[in-house]
Amino acid sequence: MSYSILIVDDSLPMRSVIKKTLKAAGYAGSQFHEAANGKEALELMKHNWIDIILTDYNMPVMNGLDFVNAVKKEDLLKDIPVVIISTEGNEEKIRKFMDAGAAGYVTKPFTPEQIRDLIVKILGEVDYEEKIDDSSDDLDF
Amino acid sequence: MKKKLMTAVMTSISEVMETMFFLPIEPAADATLARCGLDKQKTMACQLSFSGDISGRMILLADESLVAEMARNFMGESSEYLTDEYLMGTLTEMLNMVCGNALSKIQADIPFELGIPAKIDASEIPEKEEFSIIETTQSKMAFLLKTD
Repeated sequence: MSYSILIVDDSLPMRSVIKKTLKAAGYAGSQFHEAANGKEALELMKHNWIDIILTDYNMPVMNGLDFVNAVKKEDLLKDIPVVIISTEGNEEKIRKFMDAGAAGYVTKPFTPEQIRDLIVKILGEVDYEEKIDDSSDDLDF
Repeated sequence: MKKKLMTAVMTSISEVMETMFFLPIEPAADATLARCGLDKQKTMACQLSFSGDISGRMILLADESLVAEMARNFMGESSEYLTDEYLMGTLTEMLNMVCGNALSKIQADIPFELGIPAKIDASEIPEKEEFSIIETTQSKMAFLLKTD
């Protein structure tokens, strides 16, 4: 099964790493969207269906917490699971995100397994045959 | 508090370098850039401010060849693909991870705010400034913590 996945991070290399991690975890057949901050992401979501969002916290223009709050305020968007991937493992901040409706939290630095396990928990296990079929895509980027 | 943060920073640098960039490191003696052999002309630098129970800024410099190696390991891409934006993005993301990680280690239950990491010109760093030097097998980076 393929998904429409939105990665929100102001770091171009980090977006690239998260995308690769998800592809390697079996989501290579998914459609990936990228935004550099919350505002850009909200704009992108006006024109694209999104199944899951992975967002950083510390971004210019609109940070991750304001972005989660904006998503959860919109009837059409509020059920989209949002995963926070942030350098800040501060308990207070994590609690704020979870209170705002985030589905999970991963602290940087992360291992690919941490991202994969959380996404699989939210979206469900990827079909193994699909994972094999899509593995050749890993060589294309 | 500064000493505690500096200890946390060194632990975080080691964790981030090994987990995200697959490069083991060794701390070396503090030194000026000139004394440790880092050439400002071939160095990339960035800084990040933070505030909370303790406030200040962190500066990270690394040899261009080390940044390129980090970016290759981080993204699994060959050098041709790695533009300046990817290289500087790798260094700023490294500093972002180190700063957030270190502050979380020393004050897990106290909120703090991080700024946005930004590129700085290494040539503007005063000659006499002493940095913590971190060595990899083939190269080195320098780190400076300034508290208010």
